[in-house]
Amino acid sequence: MAMLELENVHTYYGNIHALKGLSISVDEGEIVTLIGGNGAGKSTTLRTISALQRPRIGKIVFEGEDVTTAPPPEIVRKGIVHVPEGRRIFGRLSVQENLEMGAFTREDKQEIIESMEHVFQLFPRLEERRKQTGGTLSGGEQQMLAVGRALMAKPRLLLMDEPSMGLAPILVEEIFNIIREINQQGVTILLVEQNAHMALSIANRGYVLETGQIQLAGLATELAASSVVREAYLGGG
Amino acid sequence: MKRTSLESGLLIGCLSLFFIVLGVTSLTGSLVQDWFKLSSPILGGWLLLFLMTFWGGTLAFKKSPSKSWSETLRTGLSVGLVAGIMLALTIWGLGTLNAQAVPIREWLVQLTPAAIAMLTMGRAPVVAALLMFVVMLLAGIGGAAWAYAALHYQWRSVLNTRWLSARESVINMSLVQKYQQHQYSKQIAYGVGALVLLTAPLYLGRYWNYTLGTVGLYVILGLGLNVVVGMAGLLDLGYVAFFAIGSYTMALLTAPQPHDIVMSFWLALPIGVLLAACAGVLLGIPVLRMRGDYLAIVTLGFGEIIRILSKSDVLTDFSGGPRGVRAVGGPMLFGLNLNNEFYFMYFIILGIIIVAYATHQLQRSRVGRAWMAIREDEDVAEAMGINTLKYKLLAFAMGSGFAGFSGALFASRNKFTGPEDFTLLVSINVLSLVIIGGMGSIPGVIVGALVLKGLPEMLRQLDDYRMLAFGGLLVIMMILRPEGLIPSSRRKMELHDDESEALVPDVLVEGGEV
Ligand SMILES: Nc1ncnc2c1ncn2[C@@H]1O[C@H](COP(=O)(O)OP(=O)(O)OP(=O)(O)O)[C@@H](O)[C@H]1O
Ligand SMILES: [Mg+2]
Repeated sequence: MAMLELENVHTYYGNIHALKGLSISVDEGEIVTLIGGNGAGKSTTLRTISALQRPRIGKIVFEGEDVTTAPPPEIVRKGIVHVPEGRRIFGRLSVQENLEMGAFTREDKQEIIESMEHVFQLFPRLEERRKQTGGTLSGGEQQMLAVGRALMAKPRLLLMDEPSMGLAPILVEEIFNIIREINQQGVTILLVEQNAHMALSIANRGYVLETGQIQLAGLATELAASSVVREAYLGGG
Repeated sequence: MKRTSLESGLLIGCLSLFFIVLGVTSLTGSLVQDWFKLSSPILGGWLLLFLMTFWGGTLAFKKSPSKSWSETLRTGLSVGLVAGIMLALTIWGLGTLNAQAVPIREWLVQLTPAAIAMLTMGRAPVVAALLMFVVMLLAGIGGAAWAYAALHYQWRSVLNTRWLSARESVINMSLVQKYQQHQYSKQIAYGVGALVLLTAPLYLGRYWNYTLGTVGLYVILGLGLNVVVGMAGLLDLGYVAFFAIGSYTMALLTAPQPHDIVMSFWLALPIGVLLAACAGVLLGIPVLRMRGDYLAIVTLGFGEIIRILSKSDVLTDFSGGPRGVRAVGGPMLFGLNLNNEFYFMYFIILGIIIVAYATHQLQRSRVGRAWMAIREDEDVAEAMGINTLKYKLLAFAMGSGFAGFSGALFASRNKFTGPEDFTLLVSINVLSLVIIGGMGSIPGVIVGALVLKGLPEMLRQLDDYRMLAFGGLLVIMMILRPEGLIPSSRRKMELHDDESEALVPDVLVEGGEV
């Protein structure tokens, strides 16, 4: 049984029909990537899963439980954590305060401290800058902070929205290495990317999304080889 | 001559003119005359102007990039020159007009013949103007030289070491040592503070108990709005509505007219708080789904609706109409009538302590962190699993409850309440005092209320110009301290970026763009 399952999900923004009958699944331990052009509905898919947006039709099942109508705090408690698009960190709070915010739904102080140590192991840069305000971090550091903050919620399924956006190639590499490392530590990952090449290189499976519908699905290696993907997202190569 | 020093001179000159027009110079003059039993107010007034320009000289020196002696002289000279010309012209003009018996005070109330005589020292306008020019030149140069000396001879650090060694010898005295070793020293300090606060109403007298009581009621209002605006970041422009609800609840429940319920003060007080908090929640449920500008506009409308309702003739039988409610009841305790400003001062002090303590605890709690996240980025706060609507409602309910508390005390103390007590100006005043004090800072609210509501009372003479002075103060303060008088550490960091950067160790900067 899949860890996460979306069945025929339709999401609207007012009259705008953003997701038109989306069905995807993610198995425990996988990295699944969602690729597609601008406005395809990738972010909307993640927002629908984390309950920031409600589907009008359809069903979302997480670990056998129907979570279609669960509010965001409950979703986070169940272990689905969203790293929003565009490094939305708390710019005026310190790095440490940002991380503490990530653990908002958790109670056990000792465990929270352990999680923070874990985040600092993954991102030693953040530890050096604990007291610095988020807004003064560099772009790459802000992305690390956004990921670290999500890890503070102790996710079982991490939803990542374009973590490589606007970063220099060497940093993209670094971020992707860290995503792989987080996955190896047992966190399932649903990764939205425009950088299809990088995304398909670390994912097990992938979906190609166009105007709110799945165009293509398959193993990452198959997708990387398919002519549709090569032409549309891998620069025709 | 440097542009910056001319600017400093201009700023100081304008400020001095502002002071003259507002009568601050005359006031200082008469205060100094009183204190030192002088024969005339001239010395005090001129001293104030001298000190202003002196200060301008030190400011200009700090801004000037070169700290050489000749540059210092030039800086001070240009400040003195600009301020001197402005003031000399003013004095010459005022003196001449006064001599021709032009009724200046018809336009500018504070510029009485006596005030002008103080400025001209009773001499011919030209003489006084020349004298003023020379004095200002000296003041500007003096200020710059003072700053130069302070920098080069490090008087401050010398003074500091003296002070430290003096302190050390005091600490060595056994009594002080005992005090410091005492594990309750902090509590003792609090105790002394509380004692001063609790005995203050005894020697303040009627007038000051009333005046400072009003300031205290504004402190409670400010602490409440600080939760809503400063902590949760929700711009509420109709805050006065909840003050009104608390006030009217107290009035209608305890006054013989129009309802003849005549309930006890002690029962009406919590009901007023509760009703105000409920009104906050009821307004909040639909409104808090909106963001930013919309929230401000809707709350603004709500405030006006409440005021207009309270004023409406149709509701006269229910709420007293335009004439308000008279004979509002006061507190009784063990058969003792506590209904005067003296006892109310105690209620208000107690109220401030409770409210300040509660908000302080909340700020550091989980709730405070949720508010902080919502203020910073509501979407992300939601993604972090924070129930944003719940926490926003909580902030609204608390702020409104505190306003209701303040309103109930207000109505009971004044023994009267009416629509005119609840104009938009109240909301604006409370918001201003929160901003002046420093958003999100509890001590800031207290200082802000003292400055905004207390200062005009203390400077009664300013009354006609209160709004002008208030506006001027706001502008000056926003230039000098944009983060507020006692900012929370966060705001300070954010608005003084240039300074805070220096706090980041070089090691961290070295890494460069990552
Ligand atoms: N808040 C909103 N209100 C109205 N329409 C929206 C909103 N957010 C997204 N949309 C629309 O929904 C569609 C899908 O948007 P979405 O943000 O999910 O795209 P995306 O695949 O993440 O694109 P990108 O790669 O540019 O981030 C778009 O047509 C967009 O215009
Ligand atoms: Mg997107």
